[in-house]
Amino acid sequence: MTRRHIPLCLLLAGALAAGCDSLEQNPVATSTKDAVFGSENGLSLYTTSFYNWMPDANNLTQSESMTDYAARRDVPQFIRPGVFNPRVNDITASGQYEVVALGGDVNWRWNTLRSINYFLVNNTDPDVPEKIRNNYSGIARFFRAWFYFEKVKRYGDVPWMDKPLSVTDSALYGGRDSRTVVMDHVLEDLDYAIANISATNENSRTLITKDIALALKSRVALFEGTFRKYHPEFGFQSTADKWLNESANAAKILIDSKRYSLYTGSGPTDSYRQVFVRDAPVAQEVLLTNTQSTALAVRHMANWIFTSATTGVRFSFIRPFIHTYLNIDGTPFTNLAGYQTLTFQDETKNRDRRLSQTIRTPGYKRIQAGTQIAGPPAFTYTYTGYHPIKWSVDDVAMDGGSLNTNAVHLFRYAEVLLNYAEAKAELGQLTAADWALTVGALRARAGITGGLTTLPTVADPYLTSVYFPGISNPVILEVRRERGIELAMEGLRFYDIVRWARGPLMEMEWRGIYVPQANTNLDLDENGTPDVNFYTVNPATRLSGVTYISVTGTDFKLSNGTSGEIVWRNDIPRKWDQKNYLYPIPEGDLLTNPALKQNPGW
Amino acid sequence: MRRASLSVLSSALMLFAAAAAHAQQTGTINGVVTEASSGRTVAGARVGVAGTQLGAATGAEGRFTIANVPVGSHTLQLRMIGYTALERAVTVGNGQVATVNFQLSTRAVVLDEVVAVGYGTQRRGSLTGAVDQVGSQALENRPMANLTQGLQGLIPNVNIRLLDGRPTQAPRINIRGTTSIGQGGNALILIDGVEGDPSMVNPNDVESISVLKDAAAAAVYGARGAFGVLLITTKKPARDGFAITYESKYGRRTPTVPAGYVTDGYTYAKMFNESFFNFEGTNPQNVNKTQAFSQQYLAEFAKRSTDPSLPTVVVGPDGQYVYYASTDWYGLLYKEQTPTTEQSLSVSRSTDKASFLISGRYLDQPGLIRYNSDDYRMLNLRATGTLQLYPWLQMNNNLTVSNRKYFNPLNVGEGGGIWRNIADEGHPSEPMLNPDGTLTWSGAYTVGDYYYGKNGSRLSRNQVRNTTGLTATLFNSKFKLNGDFSFQNTADNERRRRVEIPYSRTPGVIEYLGTATNDLRNLNDKGVYLASNLYGDYSSLFSEKHYVNVVLGTNYEQSTFDRLDVTRNGLIFPDAENINLALGQSITTGGNYEKWAILGGFYRLNYNYDERYLLEFDGRYDGSSKFPSSQRYAFFPSVSFGWRPSREQFWKVSERLISDLKFRGSYGSMGNGNINAYTFNELFNINKSGRILNGIQPQFTGAPAVLPDGLTWETVTTRNAGMDLEMLAGKLQFTGDVYSRRTTNMYTIGSTLPATFGATSPRGNYADMKTNGWEAGLNWQDRFNVASRPFNYSVRLSLSDYSAEILKYNNPDRFLNDFYAGQKVGEIWGYITEGFFSSADEIAKHADQSLFRSHSSGKIQVGDIMLKDVNGDGKVNPGKNTADDPGDRVVIGNTTPRYTYGISLGGNYGSVFVSSFFQGVRKQDWYPSPESNAFWGQYNRPYGLVPNWQLKPGMIWSPENPNSFLPRYASRLSNNAAGILRAPQSKYVMNAAYLRLKNLQLGYNLPARFASRIGANATRLFVTGENLWTWSPLYKYADNIDVENATAPSDQFANPNGNSGDGYNYPMLRSFNIGATVTF
Repeated sequence: MTRRHIPLCLLLAGALAAGCDSLEQNPVATSTKDAVFGSENGLSLYTTSFYNWMPDANNLTQSESMTDYAARRDVPQFIRPGVFNPRVNDITASGQYEVVALGGDVNWRWNTLRSINYFLVNNTDPDVPEKIRNNYSGIARFFRAWFYFEKVKRYGDVPWMDKPLSVTDSALYGGRDSRTVVMDHVLEDLDYAIANISATNENSRTLITKDIALALKSRVALFEGTFRKYHPEFGFQSTADKWLNESANAAKILIDSKRYSLYTGSGPTDSYRQVFVRDAPVAQEVLLTNTQSTALAVRHMANWIFTSATTGVRFSFIRPFIHTYLNIDGTPFTNLAGYQTLTFQDETKNRDRRLSQTIRTPGYKRIQAGTQIAGPPAFTYTYTGYHPIKWSVDDVAMDGGSLNTNAVHLFRYAEVLLNYAEAKAELGQLTAADWALTVGALRARAGITGGLTTLPTVADPYLTSVYFPGISNPVILEVRRERGIELAMEGLRFYDIVRWARGPLMEMEWRGIYVPQANTNLDLDENGTPDVNFYTVNPATRLSGVTYISVTGTDFKLSNGTSGEIVWRNDIPRKWDQKNYLYPIPEGDLLTNPALKQNPGW
Repeated sequence: MRRASLSVLSSALMLFAAAAAHAQQTGTINGVVTEASSGRTVAGARVGVAGTQLGAATGAEGRFTIANVPVGSHTLQLRMIGYTALERAVTVGNGQVATVNFQLSTRAVVLDEVVAVGYGTQRRGSLTGAVDQVGSQALENRPMANLTQGLQGLIPNVNIRLLDGRPTQAPRINIRGTTSIGQGGNALILIDGVEGDPSMVNPNDVESISVLKDAAAAAVYGARGAFGVLLITTKKPARDGFAITYESKYGRRTPTVPAGYVTDGYTYAKMFNESFFNFEGTNPQNVNKTQAFSQQYLAEFAKRSTDPSLPTVVVGPDGQYVYYASTDWYGLLYKEQTPTTEQSLSVSRSTDKASFLISGRYLDQPGLIRYNSDDYRMLNLRATGTLQLYPWLQMNNNLTVSNRKYFNPLNVGEGGGIWRNIADEGHPSEPMLNPDGTLTWSGAYTVGDYYYGKNGSRLSRNQVRNTTGLTATLFNSKFKLNGDFSFQNTADNERRRRVEIPYSRTPGVIEYLGTATNDLRNLNDKGVYLASNLYGDYSSLFSEKHYVNVVLGTNYEQSTFDRLDVTRNGLIFPDAENINLALGQSITTGGNYEKWAILGGFYRLNYNYDERYLLEFDGRYDGSSKFPSSQRYAFFPSVSFGWRPSREQFWKVSERLISDLKFRGSYGSMGNGNINAYTFNELFNINKSGRILNGIQPQFTGAPAVLPDGLTWETVTTRNAGMDLEMLAGKLQFTGDVYSRRTTNMYTIGSTLPATFGATSPRGNYADMKTNGWEAGLNWQDRFNVASRPFNYSVRLSLSDYSAEILKYNNPDRFLNDFYAGQKVGEIWGYITEGFFSSADEIAKHADQSLFRSHSSGKIQVGDIMLKDVNGDGKVNPGKNTADDPGDRVVIGNTTPRYTYGISLGGNYGSVFVSSFFQGVRKQDWYPSPESNAFWGQYNRPYGLVPNWQLKPGMIWSPENPNSFLPRYASRLSNNAAGILRAPQSKYVMNAAYLRLKNLQLGYNLPARFASRIGANATRLFVTGENLWTWSPLYKYADNIDVENATAPSDQFANPNGNSGDGYNYPMLRSFNIGATVTF
């Protein structure tokens, strides 16, 4: 090497430094906008994100943490006087988790909407055939309808937005649009979805189809119709029938399609429950579900929730609701003289078979390592004795972890039937044939023998006195009874009582099973071994396998001291006010945009 | 256009180099080195020609000779340990002999020390920026898993917070405190001038570590140097001769603090029952998930605890095991102690034409974990050398290869770290194993998973780095041209296996835990980094007084990062290791790719007059691919100056009293380039759905984050004033700096928009902050005679402090859940603890504190905490949660570590030497996280472990002990959303100040006659210890949490982004080592 080469070497290093054209760098591990909106795959990639906002299996199985028919660990803050207020701006935070929203942002949050609108505004690439674009826009608008439905349920009037706003958009600081305006848009979105989504149904029961859009429409329109009808204070009563008709019509299209039917394959004592404990959704009845898979390691924790003293709120049904289950012959249980003092073992016999498929009753068995073991209501986990089993499976190996693989449903044909029946009943148009097709069919599946094909003619005094004092129409009353029982724990109850304007039901005492005598061992499942002892005197000796519970405290007691119904958590006051029919706009959001104005009473 | 101008600059430098080539003529330099005070000749002193590899050591008579020195002016440098380094100018004529004699003065630490600065070195005496440096002696003989850990506390205001005691622990290095609450940013770490990872460096290879703290010093690094630069310089081959050094260390390690929990099963169960009942008002029916509980069980346990003849495991009527055990879960988790060994070797040889140094290190640290041990191993190999191609041209190369392996065992039951899992399910009342040898349920959730021994992550990192450089020394050594090119390939690999854990609740029935995670993961990250520099350095002295130095150069760097991450479930058998044997349908693939490049031209202009008035300009014109094209280039200038009154005519102070005094000042403004690539692009990220849609978990994308308009760089403006002082003939040295750093236009959240915007408000350049601080270093070195032999000793103190304040932030209402203007960073807002209620009457009369629960029902009892109604409105509440209306809260502490200090003490007497290094924080507050079991015990979750210290007299409230530390014994007070201890309050703000003896060593240099018997030149034996002693006010209470762990985020392996500060951490370790160094 001669000395002349040396500078050349240095020059090389310099050239590398100066010559590299590397300061323009673009991401390669993420997609570009053109790629997303320029192909069907891209549109599918984007709309898949919408599914993430649907409630998942855990959301659904715990969705009824706040309802009138269940006792729980503590009183929901929402109905504790002075506890819930507009400053509680995150209602999903611990202790404020009352209802799971279907459709995304629970709070006054709008991210879901922005993402949908961003999609709709950009889904215009002419390289993609219009029909395909419209299919995905249909899916997006389905989700937008669902999103707004949730917002309207919770807050009433809300701002309607159909495009993503920029930072400087004045609409950010605008007021709210009337619920009538918003709901009309929701209806438009749903009709668009029904018209443009290309799939009618699909076998996995996990994708959005035309049929799901119809089912949602029947749900949304029933809510809006009955809400307007039973809340005269908002002044929209005259438009209620339009919505009830929309609901009935949407449901009817599904019914007439004959693509769905009730599952009866396991007989009256098991068919109902099979719908909720199978891994593969019962496709004839389930429209949309969350499927689980051990192979994919996607599972839920229903067994853990319902067999834990600490995880979950210890959801337990209360006795007034259990009383609404009919006798097996179709007559009201509450017609029996002395029904109030029947023991648990007695009151659970000869009832609507859904009772023994919804809670633990005598004869219920759990499975341990393949063999059946006793499964009495466990007072370790239940407060009232009405221990739910609707979403949990019998195998004890599934307790204590996220191990459940049974599918958890979002839309079920039974609801469509009930939406139809209720809309028609509210319109005064429910016929005996409609009755047989809907409530009658549901009761028949549950083994009920009477009143399946004729419209009810007697207003049940128990329902009118305890549940629906303002309702005298026996058909409406019975449809509501049926809805409570059939759809228990499926996440619809809270807004049912909101739309029926029956919020005060939330103040019901949390009463449990009737205990004839304290300080006595009770054999709840009638298997010969005692299960529980409610004591006022600390027993000197304690039997193994018996749960001993003191009823001398202020929170857990018997209604007559040493006998009577269990009373739980009566020490904390509950109050439903008119204002509770709408949630408050969170204070922080009101401060940011005062034009929103607060809901009345808050 | 801008690039073009840089290339013109480079070409000009080239031509300059080419023109300098001229014919080679050489001469010789010789001389004698003597000690000034005694006149004796000095052997073994090294004399070198600056900028070349030429050099020689003095022989027995103090004489040296350097041949083949190119004709021209040179600087001769003399280095000798214990003496002042000297430089002499010399001119060599063709074929002539120039004689230069040196007189050494003994001065321990010297102003003439050469300090590494950006693209060069400077003598400490002429520095004007804030630069600090420590030499290799600060790291000698210290056992450390990686270099970063060893740097803690060494240099004032170089802040390193060890988050736990894992050998892989290598936190980011911070210089001078809070940097930016926007993009953040840490010190730029350069290893021999090239960005690198200090945790992969062999500590024995380090020659010096230099810290550039202010803008003036760091400006040549442009945007990456905004928050300081750490320059690690590695050892060069010995200037002449031949040396082999072998060092061997053996040690053992134990946790610094014992786990310290109650292990007696019955005591635990009794306290569980009490804490549960005292909050819930009902009796517990389970101990969390894994154990059934009842009052009968407790009574039976009481009986059995006094009768050890009864079995601790029985089978109950339901066929399930019932346990009456007493288990020390931490005893099962950790070994009593664990060994460590380190072997290192270095070989060096130099001639006047070439030199090389090869070093290697093997570090083996078997893990502390008893089962499924977390073993750590590191290999380092380095080969560096120079070739003197021509007298004026030198080529050098530096190759390092390092490999690190670490195994981290995992808990699959609920995921998360083992410490939290033990707190949740490791109940002392349950054993790990059933009588038939199967795991219990409790065991499977905790240590039993390790005992089963199949779950864990095998992590490895391979790094290869090479730098090749050329240095041309031209124009009588006045001009040097340097060019270098580096690459670094880093391969990170994680192999993770998670399989189900079998356990048994019923004899003969096996169940499984962790069924969600039966999978293998292969994660491969590949990083390729390239860097090249070309710079010239011209220096000259005009008229004996005017010194000028110009450095001008260009720098280009690029980095690519490429990831492939694959997880698949369904192992066909639990020991499967290769992903071919994972057959499940849950397949997750992930990729990532990032590339950035920077290009800059930089300069440094130094001028000084008679070394009395010093002036320096630095700057860089910088371009970064991370910014959009409109913001890509920026210019960052700085200026600094110095004045040495001690060199003024009027300075009449005796040189023996004050030998040097210098005042310094600097000002500079830089952009913060610490920002993720692609921040300015609309990104459609692709992820796998958590849901099953049509049988699969599809990928999805969604709306991209909203991008802001007109983004620009964060600006970091630093002002610095400093003073250097040398007194008492060099025995005392002091350096102090005060600084103010304003970080403006920080990239933070935008103004709060109405929620209907539907996205996070776009981030932008919205916030300002200032960080003020100071640091001081003091050295004292002296000797005195003991029994007529000198005892040399040295003391080095370093002290620093900073605090940061937010000047501007998008939080006009000054809400306390976010930053706000006027906030002191780190402040803790909380209530004032008035004491405990002593009577029902007092409860009734007290202000309403119903927002806070001491009982699930909300009722307040005697012994519960009383919070002060500060604003007297009859309610204890958070007001509007703003700084202006904080309700009854006041600032009760600050988490910023204040007054961090280091103390090094060293001494030697004859052949014996001793040294110690203390490190500490004077003031720092810690409010234990709501979930801290180590602190709150069962005041957190009722089934948590009970810390022993809580059982000490006076800790837990009782009617007989009303002035206790903790309130009425009740669970959930700390972790319940409304729990009263969850609200930070004055009584439980812990003082996390500490003083820690980081290192203590004692050594002995074997007499030469022994060493020579094994053919060695020198042999040294030593014993050293790390973390031997710690003082902290925290230990008055929580003596079971290492004070450094307490303030650190919890288990970093399981929660990389955790920030809780709860003591769930790999323990800090104490070690004892013995070692020997032999030099041939």
